[in-house]
Amino acid sequence: MTDSAEIAKQIASLIGGDRVRAPRGIETRAAAVIATPASSAEIAEIVRKCEADRIPVAAIGAARTMAEIRRTPVAIGISLERMARVVAYEPHDMTIVAQPGISVADLNAAMEQSGQRLPVDPQNPQATTAGALIAAHHAGPLRLSEGTARDLLIGIQYVGHGGRLIRSGGRVVKNVAGYDLMKLMNGSFGTLGIITEAAFKVRPIPDDYTLALASWPDVTSAFAAARAFSDAAPFAHLEVTSPQVSATLGLAPAFSLLAGFSGTRAEVDYFRATAARCAAGPVQFLDGADAMIRYCALRDFDYRTASLAAQVVVPPDELARVLGSCGAEFRAHGASGIAQIMTHDALSADTARATLLRWRERARGARGHVRVLHAEQETRAALAFFDSPNGGALELMRALKAAFDPANIFNPGCFVGGI
Amino acid sequence: MSDNGKFARQLDSGLIDELRAIAGDRAIVSHPSELKVYECDGWTIEKSAPDLLVMPRTTEETSAILAALWRRNIAFVPRGAGTGLSGGALPVGAPVMICTSRMNRIVAIDLASRRVEVESGVVNLHVTNAVKDAGFFYAPDPSSQQACTIGGNIAENSGGPHTLKYGVTANHVLGVTLVLPNGQVVELGGPCEEGCGYDLVGAVVGAEGTVGIVTRATLRIMREPQAHRTMLATFADADQATRAVSAIIAAGIVPGAIEMMDRLIIRAVEDAFHVGLPADAGAVLIIELDGLASALDEHAAAVMSIARGSGASEVRLARDEAERAALWKARKRAFGAVGRLAPNYATQDGVVPRTRLPDILRVITAVGIKYGLAIGNVFHAGDGNIHPIILYDEREPAQVRAAIEAGREILTACVAMGGSLTGEHGIGVEKQGEMPLLFSPDDLIAMTELRRVFDPRERSNPNKVIPRPGACVEVSAPHRQVPI
Repeated sequence: MTDSAEIAKQIASLIGGDRVRAPRGIETRAAAVIATPASSAEIAEIVRKCEADRIPVAAIGAARTMAEIRRTPVAIGISLERMARVVAYEPHDMTIVAQPGISVADLNAAMEQSGQRLPVDPQNPQATTAGALIAAHHAGPLRLSEGTARDLLIGIQYVGHGGRLIRSGGRVVKNVAGYDLMKLMNGSFGTLGIITEAAFKVRPIPDDYTLALASWPDVTSAFAAARAFSDAAPFAHLEVTSPQVSATLGLAPAFSLLAGFSGTRAEVDYFRATAARCAAGPVQFLDGADAMIRYCALRDFDYRTASLAAQVVVPPDELARVLGSCGAEFRAHGASGIAQIMTHDALSADTARATLLRWRERARGARGHVRVLHAEQETRAALAFFDSPNGGALELMRALKAAFDPANIFNPGCFVGGI
Repeated sequence: MSDNGKFARQLDSGLIDELRAIAGDRAIVSHPSELKVYECDGWTIEKSAPDLLVMPRTTEETSAILAALWRRNIAFVPRGAGTGLSGGALPVGAPVMICTSRMNRIVAIDLASRRVEVESGVVNLHVTNAVKDAGFFYAPDPSSQQACTIGGNIAENSGGPHTLKYGVTANHVLGVTLVLPNGQVVELGGPCEEGCGYDLVGAVVGAEGTVGIVTRATLRIMREPQAHRTMLATFADADQATRAVSAIIAAGIVPGAIEMMDRLIIRAVEDAFHVGLPADAGAVLIIELDGLASALDEHAAAVMSIARGSGASEVRLARDEAERAALWKARKRAFGAVGRLAPNYATQDGVVPRTRLPDILRVITAVGIKYGLAIGNVFHAGDGNIHPIILYDEREPAQVRAAIEAGREILTACVAMGGSLTGEHGIGVEKQGEMPLLFSPDDLIAMTELRRVFDPRERSNPNKVIPRPGACVEVSAPHRQVPI
């Protein structure tokens, strides 16, 4: 195994000394050396070198996810800070092509004047790169009405094994030519290659945004209301929060429903009336800047203050029951069957493992699964961050990894089944 | 000699006996006259009947059948209803056809979680029919939805008019039961919004039947919108109509669907079905808005104003559900109407950025003149997804060649404009030769690597999608060789 200084020297000799630096802040948990290539050709050089010498390499985005999922820092972390440009924006076609290092916030800033946006709202869009949005499949409250990167990605380029630049999809909103490698890269956590460019379809920014707030003393009532809302009208988001999370957001410490909606005057009137009817209790409405401030707090809710946080994914109608049985604090995408659950209890490695196992059993009992989002340094090594797919699926996933990464260099050892 | 000839000898009586034991007598079709029905799908330019057809009823039978074929290294072609338009169900070096149409049960409906689990032979429209009384629908709605199967939709990643707002099949399939070519059964995805590990469901959808046979699927259903407003806008020419499309979208309105029909199609539909389309129009748009009842009139007024501002001579709003149904009937029966104009037609499928629609329509007109072929246009304008319908007579070899050449020229223009070879019909055999226009050799290698993860011997629907330079299989179209 070559040491970090030697690796840094070798990468510098490949793509230039100004393209290599030491990791900073949270990056130190993600990677031993940071390379900052400025083109896919430079990334290809790095990949070929890594394959030849069997050096693990991974794109790290803002390093928040990588710092969690990696037991040990990857030898070379690729920061795409020099590849953060909008490549092409066609407002009339409602498509945008960008390099992966651009933040979701900057991507949206480039479209704001045209009244358009990429309607995926991860926690802290300023710190989430477009590449991470795809690779780690980040999403937020708007997934209910707008979908996720999986639905909006229309084209991708990445550097795969052998340093080959691979393209799938294109720049048009509807396209079924060839195999869909976009879906594979989406949520692959950097294990199949390094994304170098992405094309998205975008949507108009809605006219207005109003937030309806209501609360209940029990989880069942809150989710029953969320379902009634969902059946009655197409809300932009239907988020349910547990008492402690509600309090963090400045709400009463109860099970809260935060229902967002947008539209014309007539639509907003309808949503308001529907919310009042379906809540069967008092509803507070916020609009304008007040609504936006509360929405941003909801979107940016930081589960990293917990000692253990995980994402539970179950069929939508099972979520209330599963969350109730886990007994943990949560923020839930109400009608999507997805929640971030967490505990703030002090945990040892053993109790962290036992807590996670309990959550997993509950989710699996409902045909779902659990992925760890955050754990403390002391407990991290004891936890399997990714849940296991069934045997047949895992076998195919291993075969896919072997075919797309024969030298096993792309972010090895931390994905499902040890991939 | 057809390519199947050299495989036919492998279909010894031992195999046929084994398949009969697995699936029963009624599941096997082996007489050439009966097999002729299966010699092509909706891509009728090329024909090649299988040597044997097997129609399993269950996942277990499908698994046993594929295992029996795998042991003998015999290739197969999966088939749903045979409505595909790119030759995806055409046997090319695959002597055995596996038809999924007898696996046609709706297994489970979970309205609370908005999921429906179906066998893959279930007809698309039957999914919506099963949940519409409860106020739900299954969004992908190809024109063939009264016949096409969910399995076929998954293979081709099918679209339809309403995919403009709601997305294509890939956006609505959450899980599949897949029988791998070696007979192994795997469960991919499931009833949740997100799966665990790589998104293999996303890889199977749109793989055109080359990764095995899907026998079951878990679909997401959606709440039926409260109300619709469906409009018919009449224009002097297609150029005006496509500019209106861009203007509507630019105004920030996302309709459920925007469909265009040109002069030739309008006349054909009117002559065949007398649905009241303006017979002298150069082009019409069917624009459908959906959403909250209380707000739709305002949006409809905005759309009508934009359409008039773009040159529409008339914009008619469907007054009731019957008028709305009549407009959609006209649209969805356009292909049938065209069948009266010529002995044969080929429905092309290409995509351009929406703003390039006027340019591609001019190319299509010029190509029609160049090859002396009538070409009509009926398509998903909101998505930039064109469907030129090329009329020809298969008894005239020169016309068949011209139809193929004309299609190729239009697709080449689509790609040159930054578009794609196919928006919803798939590559099949039809567009294999054009794949290198869009993808580099490295791209095609990566795609082949993906396919071989599922099917290392390429026994499932071989010789499709990816071209192999220098290798060709002759099919029955005159002087046509498929570049496998």
